[in-house]
Amino acid sequence: MTSEHTLLVQTERSDKAIIVCPVGRVDGNNVKILENAIREQTEAGEQNLVFDLTDLNYISSAGLWVLLGTARRLQAEGGATRFCGLTEPIAHVFEISGFTDILAMYDSRGEALSSL
Amino acid sequence: MKPDESAPSSNSVEVSLPTDLSALAMLAQTIQDFGAAHALGEDLQGRLNLALDELITNSVSYALPEVAEPEMCLRLALAHGQVVAQIEDNGAEFDPFEEAPEPDTSLGLTERQIGGLGVFLAKQLTDSSTYERVGDRNRITLQIVIGGQHSDK
Repeated sequence: MTSEHTLLVQTERSDKAIIVCPVGRVDGNNVKILENAIREQTEAGEQNLVFDLTDLNYISSAGLWVLLGTARRLQAEGGATRFCGLTEPIAHVFEISGFTDILAMYDSRGEALSSL
Repeated sequence: MKPDESAPSSNSVEVSLPTDLSALAMLAQTIQDFGAAHALGEDLQGRLNLALDELITNSVSYALPEVAEPEMCLRLALAHGQVVAQIEDNGAEFDPFEEAPEPDTSLGLTERQIGGLGVFLAKQLTDSSTYERVGDRNRITLQIVIGGQHSDK
């Protein structure tokens, strides 16, 4: 088993945003999969991304920086990011990192989308 | 008689890790197996995995590239109601708890600096985290109390 095989990033289109759903684990060895999936969307001109983290069960600082960097870049470019569906372990890591105060967090995908 | 580390009753395990980021996959598997053998909760396994992940990533990135024949090993043990984890490598002297900058987690989105977050997480997710230089090796020891009321320090 290699950690590349433990992360899959699914994307869905809604009328207001692209929904990005990382499934599995994000660590320093497979974070490029997440980065590439995000880049694919932003290079196609998408400016609003909703990260639905319902099926993410592990994230290290490598992944946290990619999410933070994406939020920062899209905000600077006039876009927006939303985060929803955090399970308890992920919410704990976001909290310790101080991310819950600086990222736009929502309980559900529906709430995240209607905020856009 | 040689101790059999694979026996389910064994309270400790030692594995040699690859000295690149593929170590993270082996780390996750080792914790999963050890956790299952000793009925450790998912929360504890997750904290242990993340804390070790961040410190192994540091060693692979900063300490081990300096040496010609890098080596790294991981030990997990149960003792006195705690999980004790050690990572040892033969890299250049590097104390992450001293050398990594402490992140300011109160800064806003545009001001947050990259760096230091991983070591900060490792400290916050464990009950004790220490560094020692032992001969030509770096040794990090982490402890997590089993069933303890973990507080965010």
